[in-house]
Amino acid sequence: MTEFRVLNSRAPRVDAAGKATGRAKYADDLTMPGMLYGAILQSPIAHGKILNIDTSKAKKLRGVKAVVTAKEAGLVKYGVSPARYDETLFAHDKVRYVGDEIAAVAAVDLETAQEAVQLIKVDFEELPAVFDMFEAMKEGAPQLHDEYPNNITAEVHQEFGDTEAAFAECDFVMDHTFLNKRQDAAFIEPHACIAVFDLDGKLTLHTATQVPHYVMRTVAMVLGIPVGNVRVVKPYVGGGFGPKAEATPLEMGAALLSRQTLKPVKMVYSREQVFLHSRARHQFYAEMSLGMKNDGTMVALKNKAVLDGGAYTSFGIATVYYSGSLLGGPYKLKAMKYDGYRIYTNKPACGAQRGHGGVAHRAAFEQLLDKTAVKLGMDPIELRLKNIMTTGDVTINELDMSSLGMKECIEAVRNGSDWNNKKGKLPKGKGIGMACGFFVSGAGYPIYRSDTYHSTVVIKMSEDGGIVNVLTGSAEIGQGSDTVVAMIAAETLGVPLECVRVTSGDTDLSMDLGAYSSRQTLMTGHATKEAAEQVKKQIVDVLAHEMNCHPSSIEFRNGKVLFDGGPGDFRHIRTNYVKEHRGWTDPPTDDYLTFKEAARIAYLKLGTLVGTGKYKPPRLGGAYKGAAVGTSPAYGCSAQVVEVTVDMETGQVTVDDMTDAHDCGLAINRTSVEGQMQGSLSMGLGETLFEEVKFDSRGRILNPNLGEYRIPTALDMPNVNCIIVESNEPNGPYGAKEVGEGAIMPTIPAILNAIYDATGVRINELPVTSERLFMALKKKEGV
Amino acid sequence: MLLPKFEYHEPSTLQEALKLLSDLGGNAKLLAGGTDLLVRMKRKIDKPSHVISLARIPGLDEIVPRNGHSVTIGSAVSAAKLAGHELLSDRFTPLAMAAGRLGAPMIRNRATIGGNLVNARPAADLPPACMVLDATLKLKSASREREVLVNEFFRGPGETIIEQDELLVSIDINTPAPWSGGSYIKLGARKTLEISMVNVAVMLTLQSPDGSITDAKIALGAVAPTPVRALLAEKQLIGATPSEALFEKAGQVGVGTCSPITDHRGTMEYRCMMIEVLTKRCLMQAFERAKSWRPGR
Repeated sequence: MTEFRVLNSRAPRVDAAGKATGRAKYADDLTMPGMLYGAILQSPIAHGKILNIDTSKAKKLRGVKAVVTAKEAGLVKYGVSPARYDETLFAHDKVRYVGDEIAAVAAVDLETAQEAVQLIKVDFEELPAVFDMFEAMKEGAPQLHDEYPNNITAEVHQEFGDTEAAFAECDFVMDHTFLNKRQDAAFIEPHACIAVFDLDGKLTLHTATQVPHYVMRTVAMVLGIPVGNVRVVKPYVGGGFGPKAEATPLEMGAALLSRQTLKPVKMVYSREQVFLHSRARHQFYAEMSLGMKNDGTMVALKNKAVLDGGAYTSFGIATVYYSGSLLGGPYKLKAMKYDGYRIYTNKPACGAQRGHGGVAHRAAFEQLLDKTAVKLGMDPIELRLKNIMTTGDVTINELDMSSLGMKECIEAVRNGSDWNNKKGKLPKGKGIGMACGFFVSGAGYPIYRSDTYHSTVVIKMSEDGGIVNVLTGSAEIGQGSDTVVAMIAAETLGVPLECVRVTSGDTDLSMDLGAYSSRQTLMTGHATKEAAEQVKKQIVDVLAHEMNCHPSSIEFRNGKVLFDGGPGDFRHIRTNYVKEHRGWTDPPTDDYLTFKEAARIAYLKLGTLVGTGKYKPPRLGGAYKGAAVGTSPAYGCSAQVVEVTVDMETGQVTVDDMTDAHDCGLAINRTSVEGQMQGSLSMGLGETLFEEVKFDSRGRILNPNLGEYRIPTALDMPNVNCIIVESNEPNGPYGAKEVGEGAIMPTIPAILNAIYDATGVRINELPVTSERLFMALKKKEGV
Repeated sequence: MLLPKFEYHEPSTLQEALKLLSDLGGNAKLLAGGTDLLVRMKRKIDKPSHVISLARIPGLDEIVPRNGHSVTIGSAVSAAKLAGHELLSDRFTPLAMAAGRLGAPMIRNRATIGGNLVNARPAADLPPACMVLDATLKLKSASREREVLVNEFFRGPGETIIEQDELLVSIDINTPAPWSGGSYIKLGARKTLEISMVNVAVMLTLQSPDGSITDAKIALGAVAPTPVRALLAEKQLIGATPSEALFEKAGQVGVGTCSPITDHRGTMEYRCMMIEVLTKRCLMQAFERAKSWRPGR
């Protein structure tokens, strides 16, 4: 195994000090001279024709600088996937959910802007609305978009292998249905941005986003600005989890208002507006049948999905594809059939959230496996091991498992949780359950069709040779990508981590698709490595010339230069360096030539040293319709065991223990990997037990706050036994792949399976509130 | 969300505060912890033109024991202080327990007992605890003073008998008799930071460690427009020999006192069943504590 100096360690995050001391700046911390404050008018009704918008009173209010509606914004359609651009910045003909944006105001302060919004008078003709996805599919249901009849945003029909024939050869078939609830990502930082136009008509947009690149493209398109005139800069971001992976009306509204007023305009969503904007996890209904052999061999899967998407498409097309494609593994199947429908309803639009499209159907499938194991009288772990894929396997829908430590993960959690001594041996009210899952390590294709690189990185050495400046458009959103990039640069160049300075999240620095689909480590990592190698080669070549040696004899290690493994005679270089820096307090005195001195020599010869790296995946996946969704250069996978206690008298569930093993290829930073594992489990626990965005009968959210939309507190979350499995991914930089999303895949079904083990009751609707479980227990007693 | 504009007052004596309250009529709100008021103001539910802070009034945030006979709790005592107070935990257990379950640490550091009572939310944590302890509330205005039993204080959601010019100054509680014990149980979705779906406070007094029940008080929250005493259930207990079956029976009778609603936190049906279970549990816990009662220091 390769010996790493920086990678695979527990190096502190490069942004730790700034964040711990409050110096790190987030979008809402930024102010600019002359800055105006914006506010948005959102629809109070769920469905209605807009008859008239009267902004005259708002415009007359003292302190108001601009009021904009669709008249000023234009009607350019946008969205996430170019195949379904179904939004305009402001509603013009009708509103489709409570919260649909109608107008925006810029004023000298927030109070005035908010007051002005209240003065805008909108006349509506209220239309019948539909809030339930099954109702929305019915004949005669209110229609949201004329272009998409029957409220179907997208439907998917895929078949791999001959499903009918495969089912015919099965000994038995197990069925299962599952329903989750609409979620909110509940990131701590609400969306915020400042837009500023300079006098040449160029826009700089500082915004809390996961995807500066896509925001740049969308804002340019919607506002009709040449894309080169838009620069998106991402300050530190307080969490994204998916809903911040697309351009928002906030960003476009602020940009438009800044163009109207020629002043910087700040806009921030309130927590309620975060819920109204949503773009978080869909509601999924899953219906599946698994064909089995009596010996425990899985044969064929039929999978049906209905997704409640809300009023617009957002990521929805990809979401409905993912619900099918991500069941291709990690178990071998002979045939798989998938039918998916994504439905419009008069509610805020759903989009991508951690484990995009895969989480609910993974939960359904892993519950189905638990049921199957019960029927077979087989240990659920044995059932999974019997059917497991390993490195080199290709799924039936043509996803290439170039590395897959799934079996190792399962064995790790079996041992780590003491499964063999607990399964089937716990008293009533106590239960143990397990599940598996996998996820992409970066989407194989960009969201728009293009041959673009997915990541480029520029490394620029400081002229003194001491600092490695990594410049990247990648998005540090709290997940630790800046630290990963810094560690890869340091490892590649052979310098300590302290010598690397990362500047990121700026579309002017490099091309990067951003932080979604768990892609930064693999893709930006590759580009960083290549850029660092380029810089290294330049330094080595100059040094070899100066020292009159062969480049291959030179090695950089921990900031020192080794010639054939030893110090070499570098006196003339040091003498020059010391002369150049007379009076400086830190002359190099090391027994070895330092990297700094070497980089300085190279600078003197070549000028500013710059290396560039780039990455895009090779052509991936099959030729069938929708084959792109689910492709990735690599797949992370995980297995989890969960132990619960159920209060049989109240139905309350306490999660006592979680054991999680994740295969991340190589852990660039072990602490960060564990952080992602713990975060995923906490999110999955919340989704299982508490979380649900609730609506009243008129489509208004009942719990648009973190008091009544419940995410787990520290007291609800048990300690997690994190086990890192490293399979050395051939397509990843230094063997690394994802951990950010794959780790959430098994959490929900592992908890549900543990609840079944504790109670004998199979809950197939989330969240498992104490009431839902209690009623199910009562019903079972009654039978 | 922004606070609406208002004038802010910071009186340094109780008299000054009461005078302001009387002068300003209905245009003023009292600010203690602010965990309810400021949220309501931001949401434009309350729009007082004057806010009177209690922060500088001396003594309101003190817990004063009275020779073992009783305790006087200032209305601005925080939930954190109640929860961590040794005497309260020992002798006035339901109150300390309820305070420990109110919100989360940051909220407990701000929220006050006075605010929790005066706001009169049906699901509030402290009212049922005060009710089983037979607390007396001292209300003062610029011109008069009166004492009312907490059991007569609540009128409906957000409504109490307090007059516009009155301030809740303190809560007086007599020390429960020997061989008394109490408990508090709250049912919510999470382990903390919860609004009760149902809550139960109980005080039991025994004749002796192995004797019959001489006094019993049960109060239930989030099950009716105001917190309620389960008087019929209490009757079942008084004079009886404690047993799990008895406590179960009391729970069943206790449900009769309640008229819970179905809302997005839970259905009426489930709430009723939980009243039974939790009343029984709370009685069991109170009984265990009563048996292990020790003479005070």
